Amino acid sequence: MPERYPGYDVLNKRNSMSWNEQTRRVIDKRLAIDPNRHRFFTDEEWPTIRAVCDRIVPQTVARPRPVPLAAMVDEKLHADRGDGYRYTELPPMREAWRRGLAALDAEARTRHRRRFHELGAIEQDAVLTAVQNGEVHNQAWRDLPAKSFFTKRVLHDIVSSYYAHPTSWNEIGFGGPASPRGYVRMYFDRRDPWEASEARPGREDLARRENAGVG
Amino acid sequence: MKQADAALDLISKLALAGAAAVILVRPHHVSRIAGSPIVPKARDLTRTAVRRMLPRPAPPLSRALELRRLADRYSPSGRARQQELTRTAGRRLNGSAAMLALSVLADSAVEHYRGSFQNRAMYTPLVTSALTLGASLFGVADARASRHTIRDTVYAAAAATGVAGLCFHSYNILKRPGGWSWLNLFYAAPIGAPMAMALAGLLGRGAERVRDTRPYRQATVLGLPAGRMLAAVTAAGLAGTVGEVGLLHFRGAYHDPAMVLPVTVPPAAAVLLGATALRPSRFTNRIARWWLRLTALLGFAGVGFHAYGVSRNMGGWRNWSQNVLNGPPLPAPPSFTGLALAGLAALSLIEEETDA
Repeated sequence: MPERYPGYDVLNKRNSMSWNEQTRRVIDKRLAIDPNRHRFFTDEEWPTIRAVCDRIVPQTVARPRPVPLAAMVDEKLHADRGDGYRYTELPPMREAWRRGLAALDAEARTRHRRRFHELGAIEQDAVLTAVQNGEVHNQAWRDLPAKSFFTKRVLHDIVSSYYAHPTSWNEIGFGGPASPRGYVRMYFDRRDPWEASEARPGREDLARRENAGVG
Repeated sequence: MKQADAALDLISKLALAGAAAVILVRPHHVSRIAGSPIVPKARDLTRTAVRRMLPRPAPPLSRALELRRLADRYSPSGRARQQELTRTAGRRLNGSAAMLALSVLADSAVEHYRGSFQNRAMYTPLVTSALTLGASLFGVADARASRHTIRDTVYAAAAATGVAGLCFHSYNILKRPGGWSWLNLFYAAPIGAPMAMALAGLLGRGAERVRDTRPYRQATVLGLPAGRMLAAVTAAGLAGTVGEVGLLHFRGAYHDPAMVLPVTVPPAAAVLLGATALRPSRFTNRIARWWLRLTALLGFAGVGFHAYGVSRNMGGWRNWSQNVLNGPPLPAPPSFTGLALAGLAALSLIEEETDA
């Protein structure tokens, strides 16, 4: 797939007046996350969560800085920063993840006699689809609703972690925190000079030139 | 708040209905009040009070004095003095046009840059106002009394551009979803801004007419006394500018008490200037002069207030690339100064007209 925002790098804004000290601090911390570090997930769970992340948001394109998804989810769970709400059918965030991952592994064993991360991509997708549809057979799920675990924990936590990273911002042309500099040209199809330029078909070079000037 | 409004509404309606009923049912009561001696007495009292407040009219001149005045007026020195007056007034009007043109140049440059020059026509006010500024400065520097064709042409172009701009801005408002709505009046192209350019053109044309006054003649614009004519134009311009400021400061919710100043001081100046245009008198001229000076000062102070407004946006002046565009427009307030200067020049002409 061709790049939507060719040549755009949100990190060029780092030292411009778009970001202030606070913004720099937050983003630097996010960029410094070690993709292999896990403090909440056990060594047992680690390969499972990594495999799940790879199936929910596959990062197949070679990137200079892939999003350390599993580590970001781990970070969130380690800090136990909740969302500020909880679905009544699910236990608290940490407990839901522990039980959910264990049940997912168990489900993979029942279906394919292997652990989840040992399966091929197609089998993994089949297991996840079953979980998404609530068609699970293993006793490990007990009263944990597989469907809710998939949509309200797996999807929610992994996708929101993905889009909290500058690499995905480059992909979607997002400018990062508008702090302190926000946007001025609010009307449809207008662009501030410090905003990503979207490539129109046949005009990729223009977008690349404009994106080189973003800062 | 809504309840209080509704209650006041009801009370005023009841009072009106009551008054109507009294007129219909008991007309003799009404006629008695209207015919009572209190009414003419009160009227007389007001008249005397107003007359006392106004300065006394000058005593009629003696025959000799009148002759001397006439002689003065038509003497070479009188002629030189009058020419000096129209020339100075003309140059001052050129100066006011320069101030307005500067304000338009800076404001349209910033705002049309913000609009990304989406339409090629958005370059027009930059060119025209730059030319007007140049022509006006030339007019200020030019010590010759007569008008100049280049200046006259540039001023005509500025007036035409202002009117065309008004059409473009109206079109911009109307083409947006919602059309003629408060939201679009607030956030689409500002409806009043191009009029500042038209005013620069009109006042510049006036300046050239005034400069061109022939000896022993009164300065005229379109056949009418120049002072009163220009005072009327300036008063109307001030009123229009106040409308624009009122709209945009309302958008800003009058969050700073100083935002009330430009919708209180200039309107008073506009009313006083209008009054002198209609019925000049030494008394109104003097008050109008002070209010105009205050308005001129306010135009400068406004830049300071707006600079403060920019600093209060997130990131302050360090974040200038956003805040200069997003905050209060720095070049807008001096248009009040430009108009007030024109009003002061018009006043000096009016004084000459009424003395003569």
